[in-house]
Amino acid sequence: MSSDTRGRMTITEQGDALVLAGSIDETSALHELPASARSGRLVLDLAAITFINSLGVRDWIRMQLAAQKAGLAVELRRVSEPLMHQLNMIVATRGSAAVTSFYAPYACDACGREESLLIDAITHAERLVRLDPPPMTCPDCRSAMAFNDFPERYFSFLSV
Amino acid sequence: MRAPEASILIVNPDRKTQRTVQRILGVTGHRIDVADDLDQAVRLVAHAPPVLVVIDGALYTDEQAEPLRRLVAAAKERGAEACMTLLGAAIARIPTILHLGAVTNLLVHPMPVLGEELTITAQKLLRGDLFGAEKYLLWGTELHATTMTRASQRSHLVAELAARVRGLGQSARVASMAMLVADELISNAVHNAPVDARGVHYRRELARDGELELDERHGVRVRWGCDARYLAVEVRDAFGSLDRDTILHSLGRSDVRETGSGAGMGISLAYRSCDHLVFNLAPGRCTEIIALIDVRYPPTERVHASSYNVFVEQAP
Repeated sequence: MSSDTRGRMTITEQGDALVLAGSIDETSALHELPASARSGRLVLDLAAITFINSLGVRDWIRMQLAAQKAGLAVELRRVSEPLMHQLNMIVATRGSAAVTSFYAPYACDACGREESLLIDAITHAERLVRLDPPPMTCPDCRSAMAFNDFPERYFSFLSV
Repeated sequence: MRAPEASILIVNPDRKTQRTVQRILGVTGHRIDVADDLDQAVRLVAHAPPVLVVIDGALYTDEQAEPLRRLVAAAKERGAEACMTLLGAAIARIPTILHLGAVTNLLVHPMPVLGEELTITAQKLLRGDLFGAEKYLLWGTELHATTMTRASQRSHLVAELAARVRGLGQSARVASMAMLVADELISNAVHNAPVDARGVHYRRELARDGELELDERHGVRVRWGCDARYLAVEVRDAFGSLDRDTILHSLGRSDVRETGSGAGMGISLAYRSCDHLVFNLAPGRCTEIIALIDVRYPPTERVHASSYNVFVEQAP
């Protein structure tokens, strides 16, 4: 993140996905996204979303409703932690979207490193339903990392 | 400060906790009265009006909703505005307590009592000295201050705050929480606070991404500091238009989780994104909101809920 701006949201195309980056806020114009759907699918890569405020949440919900109304299948990929917090906190943000992968907080008990790590929600679907976070290895000391949130809270987006 | 012969009433069924709270609040110099339950507390309030009532949240059950309401009303009627609830195992009751719209101070902690928070709350109420994030931070902690002169500075300020918090060695999670609360509180101060003589919030409907000059009257002061226990973000406007009932309604909104929209969403989101939200209100003069983020513990060791205080400056 730049130190002199929160960073307006940008959209770029990458393969079958629209890559969203920066802040989701009052300037984001999310309502335009459903028009970019291909073959009835709207795929959003959200790894680079650094921030979302209450106005961004409101627009995100409107975008989800518009996509639903248009009969689009919405897939959310590599959802960043700031957005995961909103998906977990506000039910309406989930819409009918499928989260196929997301970032989650892990911490290493051995060396203290904290890391946001990517979880494949399809590969680990059974574990996630059991609120059992997949094991991860510390990139620093190679020790096992512990999930650094309450699974029942962080995985509540699964219980739509 | 009020006369020391006035009492503080502790309402708690557990003898050990009663003694702990007694020791903490005894240092104020006030007489401490103790009630084991809400009914006894109502009788005590009628007999010897306290300056402060400290209620254990575990006492509050569905059957006790009415006695709690009666106690809060009786205390308020006799000038003990400060009714606070401590929660331990009763954290699950928070939505119901918020929905009551009557509890103006809620301190959440897994231990029986969080001494520092209770002491600060009690001292602020007893002394009538409400303002300033300094009260929550250790001595010597630097508070960085900025007065906004344009609405568009919000984005810059919020980004700079996050970068500086990261620069202090705090985690991305803490920086992210700080960004969110700062953005919501500043947005509230710039657009919702300004009110004219007829009580019309004349900037509420303006586009949030439009530019606005903030003159002396409309200036918003932002301060923040971190003492390695808490990161405090303080936002202050010069209108004092936010009132207690609006705050309690926003905090108690149970539909935010389902809908994610509507009036009070910003306050509700800020409350859910920090560990303690403090409202200092001087009606018609200023509103100061302080968000405290506990930087000591990872999410797994933190309480599952947030504390709040709504302090209202008494007319002289």
